Amino acid sequence: MEFSLDIFIEQFARTFTFWWVILPSIFLGLVVGAIPGFSAANTIIILLPLTLAMDPETGLTFMIALYASSRMGAGIPAILVNIPGTAGAAATPLDGYPMARQGKAQQALAISFVSSVLGGLLTTIVALLAMPWLSQVAYYLHSVEMIVIMIFGISLIATIAARDTLKGLIAGFFGLMIGYVGADVVYEAPRGTFGFLELYDGVPLIPALVGLFAVSEAFAVIEGESILTQRGRELMQKGGWGGTIDGLRETLKRWWHVVWTSMIGLVIGVVPGAGAAIASFVAYQQSRTFSKTPELYGTGHIEGLIAPEAANNGVTSGTLIPLLVIGVPGGATAAIMAVVLQYHGVTVGPDLFMNSPELAYGPFTAMAVTYALMMLTVLPLARYMSNITVVSTVYMAPIIIAFTLVGAFVPREYTFDMYLALGFGVIGYIARKTGYHVAAILIGVILGPLLEQYFLRALRIAQGDVMVVFSSTIGNILWAMLLLSIIFPYLMEARRRKARDRDATA
Amino acid sequence: MADKFEPTPKAKPIGGELLLPAAAILFSIYYFTTITEVPFSAQVSALFVGSVLILLCCLLFIRTFLQVRRGEATLGIGGLIEPVSYIPIRLGLLALTLGFIFLVQWLGFTLTTFLFLSLAMMLLNGGRRKRFIVAVSAVLSFGGWLLFIYAFDTRFPAGPFENLMASVL
Repeated sequence: MEFSLDIFIEQFARTFTFWWVILPSIFLGLVVGAIPGFSAANTIIILLPLTLAMDPETGLTFMIALYASSRMGAGIPAILVNIPGTAGAAATPLDGYPMARQGKAQQALAISFVSSVLGGLLTTIVALLAMPWLSQVAYYLHSVEMIVIMIFGISLIATIAARDTLKGLIAGFFGLMIGYVGADVVYEAPRGTFGFLELYDGVPLIPALVGLFAVSEAFAVIEGESILTQRGRELMQKGGWGGTIDGLRETLKRWWHVVWTSMIGLVIGVVPGAGAAIASFVAYQQSRTFSKTPELYGTGHIEGLIAPEAANNGVTSGTLIPLLVIGVPGGATAAIMAVVLQYHGVTVGPDLFMNSPELAYGPFTAMAVTYALMMLTVLPLARYMSNITVVSTVYMAPIIIAFTLVGAFVPREYTFDMYLALGFGVIGYIARKTGYHVAAILIGVILGPLLEQYFLRALRIAQGDVMVVFSSTIGNILWAMLLLSIIFPYLMEARRRKARDRDATA
Repeated sequence: MADKFEPTPKAKPIGGELLLPAAAILFSIYYFTTITEVPFSAQVSALFVGSVLILLCCLLFIRTFLQVRRGEATLGIGGLIEPVSYIPIRLGLLALTLGFIFLVQWLGFTLTTFLFLSLAMMLLNGGRRKRFIVAVSAVLSFGGWLLFIYAFDTRFPAGPFENLMASVL
């Protein structure tokens, strides 16, 4: 499975001939990514008959373009109205929304677009070059290591909500408990379901996301005329292309930041089940930990926007690696791609590189071409999209409620899910008003079922010995890294405080 | 001693901050009652997470108690409900939202969205610009039908309007 430059160049040129599939997919992906409840996976399922009717190469190109552009699309409402289109964009509003409120929506969108494109392009190239080695990552991560990774995710909550670590942890662990709702995977006993059959499969993610972010935001924003601050309104009136150019320049200036945060996304994407939500939070936290100005994070800081956007686009290339190399899909969309390929009689795995190199390298070249075309087609739209922030909350709040609640209905078609979204909306509203971070609750809900599964599996292997969580070398290294990632920010802060005190007394 | 509990003029009302931890503790206890029948290995992770959660909530309660005792905060819930003038509007919007979810299964996406948008926008706008609001609501709900149901063929809740359009088109 050696990388062949000739095949890649030939494939790259060949992929450009699919522009007629890629361009409509980009716009479709942007729309479905921007609407909570409409993920790329859902859309591909809806359009499955169309995909199956295409030849495998065209179908794959279509799916890849939709997948990559939906990642970017999810960041648009996250920045403009504080509602991530998917869980993968849940870290984007941390700094994107404050920028929009300050009247810098155009700049924020441009930063999001450029870092998404650069992150996506870069990781695609690295994925191609490093595929043989990256594919091994999944082999070394077993239940024990995954438990540490999950708890790592939770520890991020404390640092993300660093203004009050205790509240951050409460929100995260409350989310975990909610994530534990549902029938036991082994014994099938319903737990914490309040008797609702609709919760036997666990708490569905989309209603949780819609409620925590969209519904609670709609109830919160009605206090103001628009989401913009006074200063933000003055800035918005200037208009023009300045914001887009600024965003482009500011992102290119921080190219190294894009590089390393997108690499975090790539590596996490390789781990089956980890996904974009974890990747974007890890990247955000790491970005803040190593920043010279961590206190600016959460206030509309450019690096705080670049990190999650570069990382969640890095995940797209990462999730394809286990699918193509070992035949294990890294996420829902990759799983659907596997189904489509199997329908056409194509078996994914190492043999694919020998038998059908155009299909093996195709997804990566399709992704590279998609990102290149996205830069040309989507970046100019930032100026016009940013105008959404000036829309009065009188119109905005009801629109958000109506359309996102129906979005909560779509995945399972249960009216119950809309009530659930409203329930999460109430929780989210209380959380916002009392200083608990809704993103912390959401990441808890996402990680809860995963943590439980890995916990259960590890305990069964160790015959109930809970010390199994310290039984692996890689796991112990990860524990040490976890401790360091919690302690390091405190040490940095103490050092800064000391320096400030020294300057003040000098 | 009583002076220690006297709030200072700048005391923050933080009673609302106890709501989520209280709900979290109640939920954890309820959850524990639902796992008594499963084997220990299936209880461990929930017991671990639930116990940590309860411990964290207790720490917050202690911290709050100390803040109140020092006079830095009060147990008022002002922070949660402010601005008070918006309480009726919020409750009205909540009632309309509940109505939307209840009606959407009978009236379908388009009609319910139209009704909800019109009423909610009028509520938030104090009853002003009724014609404009009705027009905006009509355009948005019809546009939603056109995009999601007609173009994307999404299974949104169907009602009289959707059924009529399905038979016409």
